[in-house]
Amino acid sequence: MNRVILAERLVPNIFRLVVEAPEIARSARPGQFVIVIPDEKGERVPISLADWDEDQGTIDLIFLNLGVSTRKLARFKAGDSIQAVAGPLGRPAEIGNFGQVLLVGGCYGLAGFYPLARELKQKGNKVTFLAEGRDEAFIFWEEKIRKVVDGYLKVLKADCFASGDELGKIIRQLKNNNPELSRVVVMGCSYLLFIVSKITRELNLKTMVNLNPIMVDGTGMCGACRVTVNGQTYFACVDGPEFDGHGVDWAEYFNRRKAFLRQEEQALSSYLNKTLD
Amino acid sequence: MSKDDILEPGLKEKLSRQREQEWRKALRRDVSVRKRLESQRHKMPEQPPARRAANFLEVNLGYSLEMAREEAQRCLDCSDPGCVSGCPVAIDIPTFIKYIESGEIALALATLRETNGLPAICGRVCPQEVQCEKNCNLIKAGKEPVAIGHLERFAADYVRCNDQTVNESACGQAKGEKIAVVGSGPAGLTAAADLARLGYQVTVFEGLHLPGGVLTYGIPEFRLPRSILNQEIDFIRSLGVEIKTNFLVGRTATLTDLSQAGYRAFFVGTGAGLPSFMNIPGENLLGVFSANEYLTRVNLMKAFKFPEYDTPVPVVKKAAVIGGGNVAMDAVRTALRLGAKEATIYYRRSRVEMPARVEEVKHAEEEGIKFNFLTVPSRYLGDEKGRLKGLVLQRLTLGEPDASGRRRPVPVPGSEFEVEAELAVVAIGQSPNPLLIRQVEGLKLGRWGNIEADPVTMATSLEGIYAGGDAVRGGATVILAMGDGRRAARAIDQWLRKC
Repeated sequence: MNRVILAERLVPNIFRLVVEAPEIARSARPGQFVIVIPDEKGERVPISLADWDEDQGTIDLIFLNLGVSTRKLARFKAGDSIQAVAGPLGRPAEIGNFGQVLLVGGCYGLAGFYPLARELKQKGNKVTFLAEGRDEAFIFWEEKIRKVVDGYLKVLKADCFASGDELGKIIRQLKNNNPELSRVVVMGCSYLLFIVSKITRELNLKTMVNLNPIMVDGTGMCGACRVTVNGQTYFACVDGPEFDGHGVDWAEYFNRRKAFLRQEEQALSSYLNKTLD
Repeated sequence: MSKDDILEPGLKEKLSRQREQEWRKALRRDVSVRKRLESQRHKMPEQPPARRAANFLEVNLGYSLEMAREEAQRCLDCSDPGCVSGCPVAIDIPTFIKYIESGEIALALATLRETNGLPAICGRVCPQEVQCEKNCNLIKAGKEPVAIGHLERFAADYVRCNDQTVNESACGQAKGEKIAVVGSGPAGLTAAADLARLGYQVTVFEGLHLPGGVLTYGIPEFRLPRSILNQEIDFIRSLGVEIKTNFLVGRTATLTDLSQAGYRAFFVGTGAGLPSFMNIPGENLLGVFSANEYLTRVNLMKAFKFPEYDTPVPVVKKAAVIGGGNVAMDAVRTALRLGAKEATIYYRRSRVEMPARVEEVKHAEEEGIKFNFLTVPSRYLGDEKGRLKGLVLQRLTLGEPDASGRRRPVPVPGSEFEVEAELAVVAIGQSPNPLLIRQVEGLKLGRWGNIEADPVTMATSLEGIYAGGDAVRGGATVILAMGDGRRAARAIDQWLRKC
């Protein structure tokens, strides 16, 4: 069991939990995630590590309120206990001397990139953050991220499907004005990962995407999170979650995320009926 | 040093000393060999196939006390018991069976516990037909062997159900040294139990949220009820073993971290958690699962109780399972219980080469599972939504024997055919879980990414690190893993006393 130290709603649909997990806080690296089980009957849900505090022995979990598991998590209050948190999992993100790096974050990725931004900067890279959201009310952690990056840009559109053109414009402009820009990393909803990869492919700009497929154990044992990248199958939980966005088989990725859509709807309606009683 | 020497030094002498005790002699005098040879092996009472195919309750119901004592009476108490040499952990089989014959069930269990920390489990999942029972001298007399597995399970269940307690044999003097066991499957639990008995402070680190390893995520409830597994694990805890779940050694902390925290020796029993796929077209369609994923969803996450439990599992009309081992049998019978109208095994060799336990194959057939031998999928077929709708299968014929001594399957040209299925479960084997072992610098690995270990002491290439079970063997059985755990425990003790 892991005690919740702080629970808050960051924006209308995104929540933050600060959870006691001293061993994870000691071992965490940027780009890694944890598996969270909300309660005794809950699923094993992967959630990116948005931050950690080794001295306090805590980790920051930031998630979109969407299905049964995240709705359960969103109801936690300070002092409650989560059934289980295991990690850190996944390969740490690559942190090299890239010159200039562009981080594109949307949804939970607005915060999930914080550790990577911090360490890329420490390593001497110039870091630009491009935030994507519906409007100002859906942007969070801007001040916190601004402190560890060189530039913070925003694309505010009704949904990410509408933001493609503007993202394209900004990324092209950045590339033209900054010849040392050699790498883009994207975290957030699947469509954002896809559309940014499409834009940068035309620019021949190396792009890593943080894939978030369905997982069960999260430790390489089951293969639920199979993704095809450059024609080869990988397990996102142990080979990723960071992959070459230009090589991802996006049609397969989108499809595999929908594997249990019907059951997820059934579970959500049964959960909502229960919690409304 | 041989395996028996490290496990049970002086095993032969011990067996004959036990056999010469007065009560044993009296039992042999009281009932003649002829009478013992007259009675037939007791069949295991079972749930009727039609009923059990629709539930997750245990198939086997267990012997009554009377049946068990009658079955125990069939044992001739031979002077040269072949059964013991067939057992990877060298259980004193004649003694425990004779205790059952005389009605001393708690003593029978105490005898089992001396060498086997998990008797209720081994009685259920060991392939007795190729181990202890294969060497039973009754076979030479033209009879069926004594039902050793059924009796082992009986002893454990009877004591538990009748609330009897077993006096634990005196623990070794507390030694205080801390030992870390990585993985709480059969190898790790056995090593932990033996090390605790030797007086060490043992911590077991388990990556998942429940202990048991493959016993928890792999073997279904209808073969091994969770209540029984939990009681066996509680017994191991009662020896003073601490089990830390949600702790991934290699990730949450490294072996070096643990070593700095005072752990003096390590046993790595991380299992064969990496599922194999065949790399054929369509394998990533929705509806194609590794056996690990399918069984983990159902067993560990309790998807058969969805939506009471949050983890889903597909419920289909036609299920295809690829493989012929115990995991394949578990998967296909799970699909049937989840409501499949048709659940079929596709296996590339013929019936006699199937590695599954004989009892599982028999149960599967009784339940209506179909078997299609000498076939292998060549690709999976999807619908317009990327969901599995069928398989293309290829017929095979058996050619010359391969390295394993089994005849190698060879494709029959032009023999491809299609079948419908909305679920395919790939159960063709696993390789060792790389999460920890690839991260340990200097640890010598074998051809399949398995840890190389001395076959007797289970010592690895790194001093103080021992390993066993499927992490070393690739894909073997519960009891072989337990044998590794026991030998490693002895070897760790000897090593620590030396240094």
